[in-house]
Amino acid sequence: MRLISKSPRETKDAGKRLGRKLRAGDTVCLYGDLGSGKTTFVKGVAGSLGIPEREIASASFTIISEHEAKPPLYHIDLYRIDSEADLETTGVYDYIGGDGIAVIEWAEKMPETEVAVRVAINIFPGDEREIVIEGMEEDP
Amino acid sequence: MLILGVDTSCDDTAASLLSAEDGNIEIVSNVVSSQTAVHSKYGGIVPELASRKHLEMIWPVVEEAMSGIGLDKLDAFSVCHGPGLIGSLLVGCSFAKAVCYSTGTPLVSVNHLEGHVLSAFLENPIPEFPFLSLIVSGGHTCLYRVEGFMKYTELGRTRDDAAGEAYDKVSKLLGLGYPGGMQIERLAKEGNPKAIKFPRAYLPGTLDFSFSGLKTAVKLALGSQGLSPAGGMATRDIAASFQSSVIDVLVRKAEWAIKKTRIKRLALSGGVASNSALRERMKEMAEDKEVELYAPRPALCTDNAAMIAFAGYRHFLANDIAGLDLNPKAHLPL
Repeated sequence: MRLISKSPRETKDAGKRLGRKLRAGDTVCLYGDLGSGKTTFVKGVAGSLGIPEREIASASFTIISEHEAKPPLYHIDLYRIDSEADLETTGVYDYIGGDGIAVIEWAEKMPETEVAVRVAINIFPGDEREIVIEGMEEDP
Repeated sequence: MLILGVDTSCDDTAASLLSAEDGNIEIVSNVVSSQTAVHSKYGGIVPELASRKHLEMIWPVVEEAMSGIGLDKLDAFSVCHGPGLIGSLLVGCSFAKAVCYSTGTPLVSVNHLEGHVLSAFLENPIPEFPFLSLIVSGGHTCLYRVEGFMKYTELGRTRDDAAGEAYDKVSKLLGLGYPGGMQIERLAKEGNPKAIKFPRAYLPGTLDFSFSGLKTAVKLALGSQGLSPAGGMATRDIAASFQSSVIDVLVRKAEWAIKKTRIKRLALSGGVASNSALRERMKEMAEDKEVELYAPRPALCTDNAAMIAFAGYRHFLANDIAGLDLNPKAHLPL
């Protein structure tokens, strides 16, 4: 699925629509440059799970941010990860395919996860964003 | 009494010994792994984020902080149990629990943010309550109303990136090194803060912050001008213009908080509070508004364990002792 977002609100809405289809154990890999709107997209996913949007901020500092919901949301941000050793000691793998939904920013910093939904956000001229979602069944 | 503080919440392993009596404190030692020779003793490059690094550093850092005094001479052990990286926090907490179990020393647990709030008073007397506290660091940007020790009310926080995180990310965009704060501050001194009109997210009606849009604006400005990340006039101007946007927002939000709460005492702390341009602008605002401003010296702005020992001392005085079943938490609101 491919769509164009003209504002942070539309990016959030796209996250919300995807969030509604996600189930416990699902993993969403987010790809996109600095400032493309990855965290904004996560705010949308969180919103669909009933998590207050204000609770979602950048997770770059703590790498993993847990949010209680049914199912819980694990907001993961690999921006600061530089090596495979870092990745393992942060405990990221414990959160994938577990009891919650794992959404991973800067997913290119880890080996490809099988059975993951892939979301790529590209910055277009004129402040537009192209959002490409793969691995999720299309709406009937 | 002697109290040891330990903080392993993020990249640095920190330990500090405090001597305290009747509410007065004296810093006996203050050791941070990244700033001492401890690091070089072990040589080699260790992954910054790895909890394994904390495991290697915790003993030598604590030993240096104890300055030859035995751990059995401690009257309390204060450890930071969050917020932070869970694997890193675990090292500090497990170490503290093991020492307290074997020596019978009372264990006290402290929120990292509480440490930052009180860091402004490690070397200044505590002002009259209530006061406002603005913490600006790589992981946090938040504003509190402090009614007393252990009585904190959040007035605002960042909705996306922390101010220090914006510095680090912009520094990377400009091809500068880490930590970004120091690099940008240095470059900004030579640049024109009015060269580029970057956005300022004041978020009227709230005391929340947002720095994500600023980061994006810097990225877009770089793209449109096709700048190479290698030095030059434009990089200086971008650094200066970016910094002036961050400082404008922080100062104005502090001003709004003062106006809204009518509290005329403000503490400024966290790593970004070591930025001299921010300190200068905040000082001007405070003088203009007749506000008492408290800021620790730069070395106590960044992560340290003296602030953890100090906050732990207040918990100890309040008889707030932690159990040996203490567990660290990555997400821990103050």
